[in-house]
Amino acid sequence: MSKNPFPLSKDDLLIAYRMMKTIREFEERLHVDFGRGEIPGFVHLYAGEEASAVGIMMHLNDQDQIASNHRGHGHCIAKGVDVKEMMAEIYGKVSGSCRGKGGSMHIADLSKGMMGANGILGAGSPLACGAGLAAQKLGHNGIGMSFTGDGASNQGTFLESLNLAAVWNLPVIFVVENNGYAESTSVDWAVAVDSYVDRAAGFGLPGVTVDGTEFFAVYEAAGELIKRAREGGGPSLLECKMIRFFGHFEGDAQTYKAEGENEYNRKHHDCLKIFRAHVTKAGVLSDEELDAIDTQVLALIDAAVEEAISAPLPTADDLTTDVYVSY
Amino acid sequence: MNKMLPTVGIIANPVSARDIRRIVAHAGNLQVTDRANIVLRLLAGLGAVGIRQVLMMPENAGIRHHVTRDLKRSVNMGERRFPDVDYLDMAVTASTDDSVRAARMMREARVSAIIVLGGDGTHRAVVSACGDVPIAGVSSGTNNAFPKFKEPTIVGLAVGLTAMGAVPPEVAFQSNKMLEVDISGRKEIALVDVAIVAERFVGARALWHTENFKELYVSFAETEVIGMSVVAGILDPVDRKTPEGRRVVFDNSNPPRHLLQAPIAPGVIADIGIDYWEVLLPDVAFPIAEKEGSIALDGERELSFSKNDQPTVTLRTNAFRTIDVAACMKSGAKTRLLRIN
Repeated sequence: MSKNPFPLSKDDLLIAYRMMKTIREFEERLHVDFGRGEIPGFVHLYAGEEASAVGIMMHLNDQDQIASNHRGHGHCIAKGVDVKEMMAEIYGKVSGSCRGKGGSMHIADLSKGMMGANGILGAGSPLACGAGLAAQKLGHNGIGMSFTGDGASNQGTFLESLNLAAVWNLPVIFVVENNGYAESTSVDWAVAVDSYVDRAAGFGLPGVTVDGTEFFAVYEAAGELIKRAREGGGPSLLECKMIRFFGHFEGDAQTYKAEGENEYNRKHHDCLKIFRAHVTKAGVLSDEELDAIDTQVLALIDAAVEEAISAPLPTADDLTTDVYVSY
Repeated sequence: MNKMLPTVGIIANPVSARDIRRIVAHAGNLQVTDRANIVLRLLAGLGAVGIRQVLMMPENAGIRHHVTRDLKRSVNMGERRFPDVDYLDMAVTASTDDSVRAARMMREARVSAIIVLGGDGTHRAVVSACGDVPIAGVSSGTNNAFPKFKEPTIVGLAVGLTAMGAVPPEVAFQSNKMLEVDISGRKEIALVDVAIVAERFVGARALWHTENFKELYVSFAETEVIGMSVVAGILDPVDRKTPEGRRVVFDNSNPPRHLLQAPIAPGVIADIGIDYWEVLLPDVAFPIAEKEGSIALDGERELSFSKNDQPTVTLRTNAFRTIDVAACMKSGAKTRLLRIN
């Protein structure tokens, strides 16, 4: 084995790969099971975008709080939410992260700093400001972070949050996951100046654009933004240009994509394949080690689905529990 | 398009100046609307001296949208201030590759010159594909060691005069040096500097971990620039014409043999340890001493190499042509080109 040239230890590289692979297989399985009609509600899959969630979240701890969006499974897994509980939640079972009442778009685990996926687009950004304000007032080193897509970044809540974070110099990072499509509308048609770095600059925040399919580019850039926020440097924006392998939601016919676009991207812009090529070429991890993780992840997802299916549904008595939280 | 009239190409890639140097340094952010205004100033200069056709690289970030709005308004007003603008028929990938493909297509379309908006990285991309088409730069990137800052209106005038054949070629054109990197048969170029760093991954591309600096090759070394080449400029400057470059070997021991302060990024003046430096002669393939690491071309990590690759760096002279804006304007004044009566 060669000397490790990467900015992560071998153990952390294995963790990062495992996380990305877990997200991928979680989503691939949901794609199949949703098609069979086994999943209640809607799911919006994150497959193809894993390097963003994991490249960023490798720098965070449980004290850092994130606000996710409708496409939140990847953020949840990377933030450490239990995969089996997530699957049960999506199946609407009492063993789920939110006892089956939230479903795909409302998975939350405050103990992990996961404030929640969010079905309302752009609604996560003000929450991240709140988390950042709390960290600032409590004097701990945590940060707030929101994830919005290129579409939701046109929402007033997002733009107001940029302003608020800049005015109060909050330790908040706004991650814009730009996968090129707001549902079915190309970013080229929907954003007047489609550089989110420009948009941040309009509010006095520095911004950076990275290739979101390159784990190491995301990891390195996110590390600097997060360090800056922890050191009192204030808010900033990270735009990750990325690719979504599936439709906006499951069942989306994706007629707005070019013929063969998904297949081409899976072949040439798959962040997992790119990561594997880097670490194996450098001789730091072997294909055998990564294949072993693949096998373990598939077993975990199988077990998560089996347990979710066999878990009970909430009863009528559960309807009025957990409605309010006392602080 | 009428092939009898000279056409000038413009490459304004919105992806330049967006990288991590906005965080790790204090690099600026040239907004899309500013870039559109630069293009309009170029067009005004070109149009004023008779250029009627301009070919631009398409992009989807908003430059075209803002430029078109002003061009339409001008036409509505019955003016003929601006040339007609056509866009290359190419897919937009929103990456540096667009600049390379646009340069190649402009060369094939036989444009008289290409004006480039960007810093060292964008100029490198264009030069890699423009062949013998002369270029003129508008400095608008992060590191701008290669393009000098010139007001775009003046660049438009100077390029326009040149394209119209109003300035003698021996006055208008300068030849430039560049560095060629050969890594296991793969050829890459750099206009200003090739830096060898210990990181063996491309990652966020920029160079800011000075402890990882190993070697530096420069085609020219000035003292008033930002970027890696300034290190050589501080040690032993060499201008853009002299047919030699410099090689610098860094020293990360404590204390190093020589220690200097160098402005390697906007707002970043770093302590840099130096072992030694030497003259780089042209057309001699210099084997990179490091056995593994990454190669940064004009300030950005582009490729990694291992001991099997045995990369080399070669300085080339007369490698590509640029338009000397100051000389063109001086010549234009002397020959009364800009006089109406």
